[in-house]
Amino acid sequence: MLSVRHLVAVGVVSLLGMWAREVRAVGVPAGTSINNTAQVNYTVGSLSATATSNTSTVTVAEILDVVVTLQTPSVPVIAGANQQDLLYRVTNTGNGPETFRLQMSSVIAGDEFDPTPAAPSIYFDTDASGDLSPGDVPYVVGSNDPVLDADAFVTILVVNDIPAGVIDGNRGFSRLLADARTGVGAPGTTYAGQGSAGTDAVVGATGADGEATGEYLVAGIALNAVKSQSVADQFGGTRPVPGARINYTIVVSATGSGTAGASVFTDDIPANTTYVPGTLRLNSAALSDGVDADAGDFSTTPNAHVSVQLGSLSQASGSQTVQFAVTIN
Amino acid sequence: MNSRKHNLYAIVALITCGFTTQAFAQAKACIELKTTAAVEKEVVNDKGEKSKVLVPAGKVVPGTEVVWTVTANNSCKQPSDKVTINNAVPEHMTMVANSATGPGSQVTYSLDGKTFASAGQLTVQENGVTRPARADEYKHIRWEFKNSLAPGASAYASFRAVLN
Repeated sequence: MLSVRHLVAVGVVSLLGMWAREVRAVGVPAGTSINNTAQVNYTVGSLSATATSNTSTVTVAEILDVVVTLQTPSVPVIAGANQQDLLYRVTNTGNGPETFRLQMSSVIAGDEFDPTPAAPSIYFDTDASGDLSPGDVPYVVGSNDPVLDADAFVTILVVNDIPAGVIDGNRGFSRLLADARTGVGAPGTTYAGQGSAGTDAVVGATGADGEATGEYLVAGIALNAVKSQSVADQFGGTRPVPGARINYTIVVSATGSGTAGASVFTDDIPANTTYVPGTLRLNSAALSDGVDADAGDFSTTPNAHVSVQLGSLSQASGSQTVQFAVTIN
Repeated sequence: MNSRKHNLYAIVALITCGFTTQAFAQAKACIELKTTAAVEKEVVNDKGEKSKVLVPAGKVVPGTEVVWTVTANNSCKQPSDKVTINNAVPEHMTMVANSATGPGSQVTYSLDGKTFASAGQLTVQENGVTRPARADEYKHIRWEFKNSLAPGASAYASFRAVLN
């Protein structure tokens, strides 16, 4: 089952997973010895001989790289709300263990208000709940800087208060920054002898720092979408084989005060699957695939997706159930 | 002990001692083999012209292309014949296509260290289909020198490989 929380505000539910892309490093671990030895065969007169060379060794230096990714889409908030969190992931995409320093900023151009950093404003998501909870440990620079092995990540919460006086539709940006304690700089910058296992540390393509920016969106109401699926294969079983059918059910509900006007649900048809014509339903009522008078349609532009106009939704509206089916290519 | 005559005496002695036939087919060590690692570095001369020079490789980061050079020097007073250098692509490295060179040598490759063939002649089985092996799948390189290596002369073999 795939669940999506806090999706949306002011109307549009989207199940695009773009805010949570996977990042992975490549590379032989720092400190590894790369050895080369050659052999030679030859003859002198009628006699043959062999010889082996010295072993020539190069040592793998440490690459300093870090990537910060936002794990939550736009977070709906109301004016004056306290302790509103944005979830980030900090991944060591280098090839050796490294310590990272974290910073946050909420004064960013392009939004309508500046969120007010809470005190403290950066927490480890210690209990892996994805939300700020009592067990989460505050981050203190220089004291509990995360130490990450190559490819390892840590989830971080950035916490802000929302000023009073902001209005529906206002956006406030907040950013998490991470940088390698060994050093940052232009790619290729070398810190001799400062890498793991005593090797050199070399700044990688990320400049050894990274950042990601999250968004609070003021809305008196939040829409929530929970997606579930069932698989039916053509042999009467439930295996997800080519030709099998996946039936999706998405339950959209509104929480909070107020009304979300002109709400639209959209969901991309997953890669390597094909929409089954005529399977789109809203609250069990069939919707035609064409763009016409009814609330739903299937479209291939810009990419294959289904869309259902849910209209005005409030908490009193109750949940809305969207269904459609695809087959595995 | 450089003369053929002395070697023959040694053979007689070995036979007398009952050694196997393989042991007495060995010549004395004539070729000294040396391997070095280098990386290309771009330098700018005082006229502002850029050129690339090889500098010794000590510490390298993943993605770096390392130039491995093998030097075979004949330290004997007789020529060495049928000089063949073998080098396995180092662990954690991927050979760069068409990078193996050696003046006066024929270069062949192998996936398993047993069957050697020219570039493009090796094949692999994948999902029941036979396809040509890619250069990044070559694990062994062999240089066979056509001419004999004169006393005091050196033969060179080199290849490039990228650190994974």
